[in-house]
Amino acid sequence: MKNLSADIVVIGGGSTGVGVLRDCAMRGYSAILVERADLAQGTSARFHGLLHSGGRYVVSDHESARECAEENAIVSRIQPQAVELTGGLFVVTPQDDPAFGDKFLAGAQSAGVWVEEITPGTALRQEPRLNPGITRAFRVKDGTVDGWQLAWSAIASAKEHGAQVLTYHRVTQIHSADGAVNGVSATDLRTGEDVRIACSFVLNCAGPWAGDIARAAGCSPVEVVPGRGVMVAMAHRLVNTVVNRCIVPADGDILVPVHTVCVIGTTDHKVSDPDHLEIPRNEVQQMLDAGEVLIPGFRQARALHAWAGARPLIKDDRVSASDTRHMSRGMAIIDHSGRDSLRGLLTIGGGKLTTYRLMAQHMVDFMEEQTGNVHPCTTADEMCPGGEKGHNYLITHRLKDREADRLESPIICECELMNRKMFTDLLKAQPNSSMDDWRRQLRIGMGPCQGGFCSARVAGIAHEESAVDADRATGLLKLFLEHRWIGLWPLLHGDQVRQAALDQWMLHGTLDLDHVPSSKGVEPEVTKPKEPLVVPASDEGKKSTTEVKEGNND
Amino acid sequence: MTDTIVIGGGLAGLAAAIRLAQAGQSVTLLQYGVGGLQLGQGTVDVLGYAPELVSDPFAGLDAYVGGHKGHPYSLFSPDEIKASVDWFAGLLPDLLVPGDGQNHRVPTALGAMRPTYIVQSSMHVPADVTSVAIVGLRQLKDFYPKMCAENLAKTSGWATSPYWLDFPARAGGVDSTATSYATDLDDPDTLARFAAALKKAIGNEDAVGLPAILGLRNPQVWSVLAEAVGKPVFEIHLGPPGIPGMRLTHELTQEALRLGVRVILGSKVIGFESEGGRISGVLHQQAGRDKVYKADNFVYAGGGFESGSLAMDSYGVVTETLFGLPLAMGQGDSGPLPSHEDLITGDYWADQGLFLAGLAVDSAMKPLDGKTAVYDNLHVAGGILAGAIRWSEKSGDGIAIASAVRAADAILDAQSAKQPRNEGKE
Repeated sequence: MKNLSADIVVIGGGSTGVGVLRDCAMRGYSAILVERADLAQGTSARFHGLLHSGGRYVVSDHESARECAEENAIVSRIQPQAVELTGGLFVVTPQDDPAFGDKFLAGAQSAGVWVEEITPGTALRQEPRLNPGITRAFRVKDGTVDGWQLAWSAIASAKEHGAQVLTYHRVTQIHSADGAVNGVSATDLRTGEDVRIACSFVLNCAGPWAGDIARAAGCSPVEVVPGRGVMVAMAHRLVNTVVNRCIVPADGDILVPVHTVCVIGTTDHKVSDPDHLEIPRNEVQQMLDAGEVLIPGFRQARALHAWAGARPLIKDDRVSASDTRHMSRGMAIIDHSGRDSLRGLLTIGGGKLTTYRLMAQHMVDFMEEQTGNVHPCTTADEMCPGGEKGHNYLITHRLKDREADRLESPIICECELMNRKMFTDLLKAQPNSSMDDWRRQLRIGMGPCQGGFCSARVAGIAHEESAVDADRATGLLKLFLEHRWIGLWPLLHGDQVRQAALDQWMLHGTLDLDHVPSSKGVEPEVTKPKEPLVVPASDEGKKSTTEVKEGNND
Repeated sequence: MTDTIVIGGGLAGLAAAIRLAQAGQSVTLLQYGVGGLQLGQGTVDVLGYAPELVSDPFAGLDAYVGGHKGHPYSLFSPDEIKASVDWFAGLLPDLLVPGDGQNHRVPTALGAMRPTYIVQSSMHVPADVTSVAIVGLRQLKDFYPKMCAENLAKTSGWATSPYWLDFPARAGGVDSTATSYATDLDDPDTLARFAAALKKAIGNEDAVGLPAILGLRNPQVWSVLAEAVGKPVFEIHLGPPGIPGMRLTHELTQEALRLGVRVILGSKVIGFESEGGRISGVLHQQAGRDKVYKADNFVYAGGGFESGSLAMDSYGVVTETLFGLPLAMGQGDSGPLPSHEDLITGDYWADQGLFLAGLAVDSAMKPLDGKTAVYDNLHVAGGILAGAIRWSEKSGDGIAIASAVRAADAILDAQSAKQPRNEGKE
């Protein structure tokens, strides 16, 4: 048992949690973040990569639209390396009502979101693959954002301000005495060691899992309604600008160019278990059909990978729970002191990745209202580490880097232009990690070959550098390929079938991976508690014990 | 006009072309890509796993095929498969070492001991070897000697020691491919320098294992090295592009050319003409304008899904992409295929049904529609045949050779029934 102490424990390592940790640390609190898996391993990675301009909400929700516009500019400035300033378009396709464009323009004007109408011809010159039948087009300031880069750079900033991070730690209990929180117990899933953190405040930022955490504090149930969204990455950037359909937000109406791919999203289905998100084939088909409307010939382009994310919406009685898209996008903060007579615990839900910094600010402000301390929030003023170059991410940046260092370090992942040094530097920083952890930071295995060429090299280098023994290296390699398959099999068609056959030949045919010894259970089962969470008696037996399925977050 | 047009420059296509040319036919080989051999390891697999390790690939065949209805091997007797494979080995006696009734075991870069029936002489490990130096090259990113050696210690029974050699293929280069190394080692001076560096690097092990880079055009690189270091040297399988596969393609192509086969590279067959139930010509995509090549017979050896001859579209419809031939899940099956939702499953380690899909054929290797040959003069061979997951079984080369030989012999038999030939088959 390890004992730690801090002013504040933040639970959840998604965008909200890292934002809250950074905000706490910058206000001078000692803070520790506890996350059961890797940073940005859940919802914050399983999205389409859109950094909203606000355009999507100008008709339905002016406040959200305005917040998005402001936060878009702030995130682009404080975390430039995570953002590509692609710009965006809203287009009226032949299937859509051109009159909605007038509502869109009017809404943008009153929300204060920058929009400019351009002719369909101009839009088609900018994005030649667009449906030539579009009747109207509007420019907006959409961008794209890498959820992992965003989380890791916010964490680096928080650490500079003294915060600590415990990833692969599962919260087992939130302790209280005399009606006030006084500590958090967690288990290190990789070593099995228990950790007890003494603290006076807990900020629950567990997203779709926030209900489980509230239960670990013995609170009455917080009903989170996970809304599952399926997304499909295409192997190329069919567009270089974010393309939105100019309609009331619906399924499959956004196409987002991000890094070397473009992502179409998304569907929305209420699910009960955010640990067990299916990628139904009919929803993949729905996305391909939606892609056809924006880009004729979409079905002939190479589809690379699919994934599902869970929207972390806290149930709001004002709307039907079966329609999560129309629940408030604005965040909700639950104050457990009134609700459960437990002081020192706040739970946050809802929100959007684009506004993660603002959500964090609201949450920490709320906490300070309760504690009576007042510190100004400075998270919008200071740049996160890694953004010092000052310019935003460019699609060509890795190509430029590899041109410069091609005589220093070999390229290990050709699809994503990752060289050996990038990987060995990460190994030094995070020796005890998995191939999926490495993937999230370096994009290993996320390109067209889906790990066929690079994954065996990565295993070899990790072993060579003594980060892992041979059995674990091979075990990690096998687990990585299993995880890649989760996002491949529901959409496998066209050229990706050909790639899958080639990958089978290489790894199983030629290298005979199946007959290389390896350890099993190389990674902790993050979704299966070692000890059950403390649950109210009435809920006993309902606790989910689903198996780990991760890695479907391209 | 030639007697036979062969489509595809992989193992099946080259074997069929050589077999037909040996019998005196005029043969045109139309080849779009580089051929499938360099995607693999450049050995001849017959049957390696059933699914347990197979030592005699012919002895267990009847039982294995009995349990796998529809397997391409169900079209042949074990004796016929062996005769075909032996014929093939006899084409390149200096390069190929058959297993004498037993599978060889050859190490892979990951450290498995992979079973295969015919190896190249550069891969052969003498039986009395007990300790092995596993040597990697710092500038070659596809081979990690420590991982290979540690795993081989468990899978091979050898005592293994890993070594690194700092030997750039190009001065200052840090990212050299197997192809660069193989090309360089063809050069006697570079080979001598490499041998000297290798000798200095290793200890007193019985033998030396190196990644498969030992010469592209000069098949004697391994023996020169062995002589220089004074002990056996052998190659370890790497991922593609595979040097031994390129070597084998080159030698087979040279043999085909020597026999008068006309080889046309780099263009795709994109269509065909037929009349009266026979293929009369195939449309070849060429700069300027497409050209029709005519022949009496056609052997289609375009490979499987990896080669694009079989494909599945975004609606899950599986097709053979050139002739639009009917598909089946195995030999003796008359289709149609199950729904694509049943062909691909979420279990990564399971054999996916999709990769069983392909063509069902008659005894002359003519693709069938039900029980009837689709075209009277179209024969198929190799990876396009339905009924086997070749990478799991390690069976792709045996299937390719046996089906190519059968297709060629069927063409020759039909020809001699029409007009007596002067020459024998071999």
